[in-house]
Amino acid sequence: MQRTWRSRVLIAYSVAILAFLYLPLMILALYSFNESRLNAVWTGFTFDWYLSLFKNRRVLEALTNSLIIAVASTIVSTILGTMAALALNRYQYKFKPAINSLLYLPILIPEIVMGLSLLVLFSQAQFPLGKPTLILAHITFCLSFVIITVSARLEGMRQDLEQAAEDLYATPWQTFRYVTLPLAMPGIVAGALIAFTLSIDDFIISFFVAGPNSTTLPLYIYAMVKRGISPEINALSTLMIFATIILVIVAQILQPQHTRKH
Amino acid sequence: MKKILSLFILVLTVALVGCGGEKKADAPKADTPKVLNLYSWADNFDPEVLAAFEKENNCKINYDVFANNEELLAKIQAGGAQYDIIQPSDYMVATMIKLNLLEELNKANIPNLANIMADLKAPIYDKEGKYSSVYTWGVTGIVYNKKYVKEEPTSWNDLWKPEYKGRVILLNDNREVIGMALKKNSFSNNSTNPEEIAKAVADLKTLTPNVLAFDTDTIKQKFIANEAWIGTMWSGDASFTHQDNPDIGFVIPKEGTTIWADTFAIPKGAKNKELAEKFINYIYEPKVSVKNYEYIGYNDPNTKAAELHSESFKNDPMLKSAVDGIASGEWLIDIGETLPIYDRYWTELKTGK
Repeated sequence: MQRTWRSRVLIAYSVAILAFLYLPLMILALYSFNESRLNAVWTGFTFDWYLSLFKNRRVLEALTNSLIIAVASTIVSTILGTMAALALNRYQYKFKPAINSLLYLPILIPEIVMGLSLLVLFSQAQFPLGKPTLILAHITFCLSFVIITVSARLEGMRQDLEQAAEDLYATPWQTFRYVTLPLAMPGIVAGALIAFTLSIDDFIISFFVAGPNSTTLPLYIYAMVKRGISPEINALSTLMIFATIILVIVAQILQPQHTRKH
Repeated sequence: MKKILSLFILVLTVALVGCGGEKKADAPKADTPKVLNLYSWADNFDPEVLAAFEKENNCKINYDVFANNEELLAKIQAGGAQYDIIQPSDYMVATMIKLNLLEELNKANIPNLANIMADLKAPIYDKEGKYSSVYTWGVTGIVYNKKYVKEEPTSWNDLWKPEYKGRVILLNDNREVIGMALKKNSFSNNSTNPEEIAKAVADLKTLTPNVLAFDTDTIKQKFIANEAWIGTMWSGDASFTHQDNPDIGFVIPKEGTTIWADTFAIPKGAKNKELAEKFINYIYEPKVSVKNYEYIGYNDPNTKAAELHSESFKNDPMLKSAVDGIASGEWLIDIGETLPIYDRYWTELKTGK
C-alpha cells in the first residue's frame, strides 16, 4: 500500500521534471505552426513558416555560417585536444600541475572577458574579423573541454593493453592506431560532441569577434528581437530539435556495440 | 546588457588607444568580385530589393546584423571589421562623427538624396547632412487598446489615470521614458537642468503603480495579446501591432514627443565606398523605396515615392500620425555629462525606490 503511494509520488515527480525540461521546447515547436507573425496569440494552424524558412536567405546563411564554424572548430579542437590530453596523460614533466590548470583556465574565465581579449588581440594584430576569427575563437574555448573529456577517459584506461601490444612488436604508431585510439574513442567522440554543441550555441564570444559575412544563428536571432522574432525561427528551432533527437537515438543505437568491445 | 556594452566600449577604447588604426593599405585587386558589406538591424530590407541590386550591379551583399547601437559602435571602433554601409541611429551618428568614425558622403553619387523629406534632410545630429541620410524614422506616441481605453488619449497625462493600474507599458529606455516625463512637464527631452529632471522623475514615480513593465522587445506581443492597455510605443511598431490587433490606436500627445531615425552612413576606411553610395542611391529610387518600405512597414522618407505607395500604406493611421508628429517632435541628442544623472534615476525607477 505504502509502496504504491510512494511510487505514485515518484512518477508524478518524474513527470513534473520532464515537463519542466520539455514544456518550453514543446511550446516553441507549437508556435512554429501559428499563423501570427509574433508569438503572442494563437491565430490558426499553418505550415507556411516552414516553407518561408527555406526561402529566407538570411536565416539560411546564418545557419550555414554556424555549421561551417562549428564543424571546422570541432575538427581542429578535437585533434589538438586529443593530442594534448595524450601528452598530459602519458608524460611527466616539470610544472605539470601548473600547466594542467592553465589549460582549464579558459573554462573558468568569464566568456565576456575571453571574447573581449580575443577581439583586442585580433584588432592589435590587424587581423580582419570574419569567419576565420570566429573559428579561431571557437577552437580556443572548445579546446579545454575536449582536453578534459579525453583526459578523463585516458585516466580510466589501464595501460596493460598498450604494453601487451608493444610486447607483440607493434610499432608505436600501430599501438596508437589499433589500441590507444579505439580505447580512447568514446572520450574523443564525447569531446567532439561537446565542442560542436558549444560552438553552435556560442553567443558572447562570437558577438565580439564576428565580422562581415559571419553572422551566426545565435547572433542573428538575438538581432531579430528588435523587430520581433519571426516564427521562421521557431520552425528552424523545431527542425534542429528534431535533428538532435535523431542524433541522440542514433548514438543510443550505436553505443551498446561500443561498450561491448571493452 | 547595455551596461556590459558600455563597460566593454570603455575598456576597448582604452585598449585601442595605442593602436592608432592606420591600416588597409593594400588596394583591392581589380579582378576580385565586388562585395558590399552591409551592417544593419535584422530584417531591415525587403530581400527582393537587395537581390535586385545584387543582380543589377553584379555584386554580393553580405548582410550582417547587430541588435543595438552600442554593439555597432564597439565593432566599428575595434576596426577589424570592414563594413561598407552601417545603420546607426540618430544619436549614434553624432557620437560617431565626434569620434571621427564616418566618411563624408559624396552627394554627387547619391542624387536621390534630394527626394528626402525636408524635415529629415539636415537633422540636429548631423546638421548639414554630410555624414548620414535618414533611412527609417518614426516618433514615440501613445498606443492604446480601444477595448479598454474608451476615450482617445490626447496627453501624456492620460497614462497616469488610476483606472489603468498595472496596464501601462513604457519603453525600456532611460532617455525615452524620462524624456517623455520631461515633455509632459513641458521641458525639453534633452534637458540638462537637474531640477527639471528631478521634477520629471518625481512625476514618473507616481506612475509606477500603473506600470506593467518596461519593455521594448516584446511590447508588440503584449498589446496584441490584450495584456497591456496603454503605453508608449514607436510609430512603426504601432503600425505592425495594429495589423495584428485592429483595436489598437495610436496618438501623438499634444505636449510633443521624441523623433528617432536609423540612417545610412559609411564608416571610415570602407573599401567599397562608391558601391555603398550606389546602394544608398538605389534605395531612394522612388519605385524601389515603394517596394522596400511597404515590406518593412516604416515611414518612407522619400517624397517622390509618396504618391506611388499603395492605398493601405498611404492611409495607415499610425504612419500618418508619425508625419503629423514631426512638427512637435524633438530629436534626442547627446547630453554628455548629464547622462549619469539619467542613469541613476533610471535605476531608481526600475528598482522601485
